[in-house]
Amino acid sequence: MDILATESRITTGSRGTRLLGLAALAGVLALLVFAFVLTDPDVRTHPTSGEEFGQFDAVRLLYLHVPMAILTYAAYALCAAASAGYLLRRTPWWDVTAHAAAEVGTLVCALVLVTGSIWGRPVWNTWWEWGDVRLMTTLLLFLLFLGYLALRRAAVDPESAARPAAVVALVAVLDIPLVNRSVEWWENRTLHQKSTLAELKIEDLTLFTLVLGIVVFGLVVTWLLLHRFRVGWLERAEVTHGIDRAIAERRGVASTTGVDSTVGQTREES
Amino acid sequence: MTDLPPSDLTPRAARPERRARRARSALLVALVVVAVVGVLVRTLDDASLFFYPVDEAVELRAELGEERFRVVGSPQPGVVEAVADGRTVVVFTLCVGEVLADVVHEGDPAELFQPGVPVVLQGTWRREDPPLLDALDRPAADGWHLQTDHMVVKHDNDYRAEGAELEPCGTAP
Repeated sequence: MDILATESRITTGSRGTRLLGLAALAGVLALLVFAFVLTDPDVRTHPTSGEEFGQFDAVRLLYLHVPMAILTYAAYALCAAASAGYLLRRTPWWDVTAHAAAEVGTLVCALVLVTGSIWGRPVWNTWWEWGDVRLMTTLLLFLLFLGYLALRRAAVDPESAARPAAVVALVAVLDIPLVNRSVEWWENRTLHQKSTLAELKIEDLTLFTLVLGIVVFGLVVTWLLLHRFRVGWLERAEVTHGIDRAIAERRGVASTTGVDSTVGQTREES
Repeated sequence: MTDLPPSDLTPRAARPERRARRARSALLVALVVVAVVGVLVRTLDDASLFFYPVDEAVELRAELGEERFRVVGSPQPGVVEAVADGRTVVVFTLCVGEVLADVVHEGDPAELFQPGVPVVLQGTWRREDPPLLDALDRPAADGWHLQTDHMVVKHDNDYRAEGAELEPCGTAP
């Protein structure tokens, strides 16, 4: 059966992904309620002046920014693992997985940069701080994977881009430890605060909402990954199908014009 | 297989849209390369600007000369706003431990600027006492001040209701 002839029936959804999508949607709604309604703003009282200080409502972005950062690491780590898998096995499954993870990771990384910048304006007094090691290594990570995606788009045949893209992914992912540890390794070079979760300087509803955010964004990213993987797999099938169809057409012409139609076939085929 | 319609198998030139796609992709790759190089250049350019804690900045005062640098410390209580040469300035004392440095910051301070909340300032050393020295609670008054024009707040990572601590300013009241 010609699978592409039934194009209108092809979908990347399944019962499982629909349930996952619903769970992710419900989770996002719950997270928004916890982050923007149920948790308190960060307000402290100055011990000497008695004035209020803290992050106020800007702290609510923490529940989006931190989970997104964690999921960026996870998506890029998956991309690197799948790229290594491709270099070892050379099967499309690994390559399509790596491509899907890079694309989703780059989307989430962009959101990390945007939410961080929006948070930075009221809290730090700047949208962006050039030279800050955490910010710069994160921007570099984003640009490296943007380069990865550009490399993949530059090739018409996905097979030809797979190997160089896998190498780029394995190099780009080396930036993740730098991003993550920069606040510890270059303490006097970064405006960015140290990890709150690692030092567990968070508690009660604030901690719960942050963990909820990580779970919810985990669901969202998984849902996006599954769909992007299936789209990638279909794209691959379309290319393969196009080649098969062209070969079939040539053989068909050859058989009607008396040319040996077995030319180009393997022994098993002929 | 044989019921497929006959096809024109004459070799054809690459389709224009394929060429256009390649050109767009090449442009995208070039833009990414330019962006990565730009980020690296900008980062290396900034590498000379360290965050000196106030005590180090005071110690290195002679070496720093008129060099522009970043300095981190906690503002002491007693912040004075003034107008100097027609411009709004904020005068206060910055400290790390027992080491103090007077600051004249040009422009509006950060929204979350508060005594005890560390700030990173960018500017240079000036060999003169700041204006309104007498109005400061506990000035360094050492004949120097930091003339700064860029202020960012260095927020801590503590989100516990009772756990958040202000960085104490030496023996400040």
